[in-house]
Amino acid sequence: MTPVVSDETLHAFVDGELDVAESETLIARIRDDKELAQRVCALRTLQSMVRLAYAEPPVAAGRELRPAPRRQFVQRCAYGCLVLVAGLSGGWALRGLEPQAVASVPVAAQSGFQTVSLTQAADPNRVMLHLDSAAPDKMLAVLDQAERLLDEAERQGRAMQLEIIANSRGIDLLRAGVSPHAARMARMTQRHANLSWVACSQSIARFTNDGEKVVLLPATQTAPTAIGEIITRLQQGWTYVRV
Amino acid sequence: MNHSPRLIDMTMISRFLFGPFRPGIEAQRPLLYRIAYAWCHDPALADDLVQETLSRAWTRRAQLRDEAALKGWMVSIMNHCWLDHLRSRRDFDDVDDLQDELESAVESPDACCNRQEVVACVRAAVARLPLGQRQVLTLVDLEEFGYAEVAAILDIPVGTVMSRLSRARASLKNLLDPAMRQPAVRTLLRSVK
Repeated sequence: MTPVVSDETLHAFVDGELDVAESETLIARIRDDKELAQRVCALRTLQSMVRLAYAEPPVAAGRELRPAPRRQFVQRCAYGCLVLVAGLSGGWALRGLEPQAVASVPVAAQSGFQTVSLTQAADPNRVMLHLDSAAPDKMLAVLDQAERLLDEAERQGRAMQLEIIANSRGIDLLRAGVSPHAARMARMTQRHANLSWVACSQSIARFTNDGEKVVLLPATQTAPTAIGEIITRLQQGWTYVRV
Repeated sequence: MNHSPRLIDMTMISRFLFGPFRPGIEAQRPLLYRIAYAWCHDPALADDLVQETLSRAWTRRAQLRDEAALKGWMVSIMNHCWLDHLRSRRDFDDVDDLQDELESAVESPDACCNRQEVVACVRAAVARLPLGQRQVLTLVDLEEFGYAEVAAILDIPVGTVMSRLSRARASLKNLLDPAMRQPAVRTLLRSVK
């Protein structure tokens, strides 16, 4: 006879914490063991009772007084007017400001990199750098840019998020054993909490198909596609810089 | 001069201007409220906790790096608010002691018959669990967080999560045993009528 299943294991099973193989073994046992089936059933009942108990928690008396529909309507109108005024005055104010706004992302002005942002004023606190080649000078340029931006943000006390996105040959920068700057990158990651490295999964898959073994540096994340990541970030208001 | 309307205007404007970038934070309100209520069983306090959590989350929104982790991140902020509240309410030197203390002020649940009574029974039983167990149980059962996520949210080892969950369910089962045997049939019969 197989040993008794512990409560912990059953809980893990009910909560979906067991891996597929473990679950399958347990399911097979539950099928034959009536007592075990009953224990699982009791656990599930308990779980659904707890869920039921808090499905509709009582609302604090007097706290969530919903405004009358009429007031809500007036409020919406007020919001609408606010939007209109903000838009008009914003547009008027930004009329002469464009060169200044772009200059606040120092990368752009200096060395002829392409900067794109969906918002009128480029957001200097959320920047992604895109690398798509393995040319040594470009790799170096990405790291230099990143450090310059982060240092500047730090000096000015801004919380800046910076993402370095690599695809095509550019992912060489993020590959363990291939990247010529691994030590420097590790230092940067350690110093700046809001710096992230993202590799394009599609490029990785392509290299793997060609017979190259791609091992990424420890801090690197992956995105399904670099382009998708860039578009998502742009929509979130990030500034895009192609190196 | 009356300052308060202007202040409200400012919050309205800032909400309007900055809200859309992180609509996720405000959207977590119902979820947070449910968890907060399950922790303290006091609507007013739960409401305060949620409010405090939302405002802390808002000021620290830059720290959140992964959008997908928003839910867990906010619950962990709420856990800190909750612990802060407990510290201020009674002078506990060590909140860890409190985590295992049995809250016995609530009456034990008797047999429950209909749906509302089941709800009341379960709430009473959950309220009787030691705080640490209550937190783990509600996070796992109500929001289906994984054990590892719960461990990260409450900042405790995964082994502790599992043992607290195990003990919580065992005592719940004991407390609710009479209720568990009867109500399934009875509520069914009632709902048919």
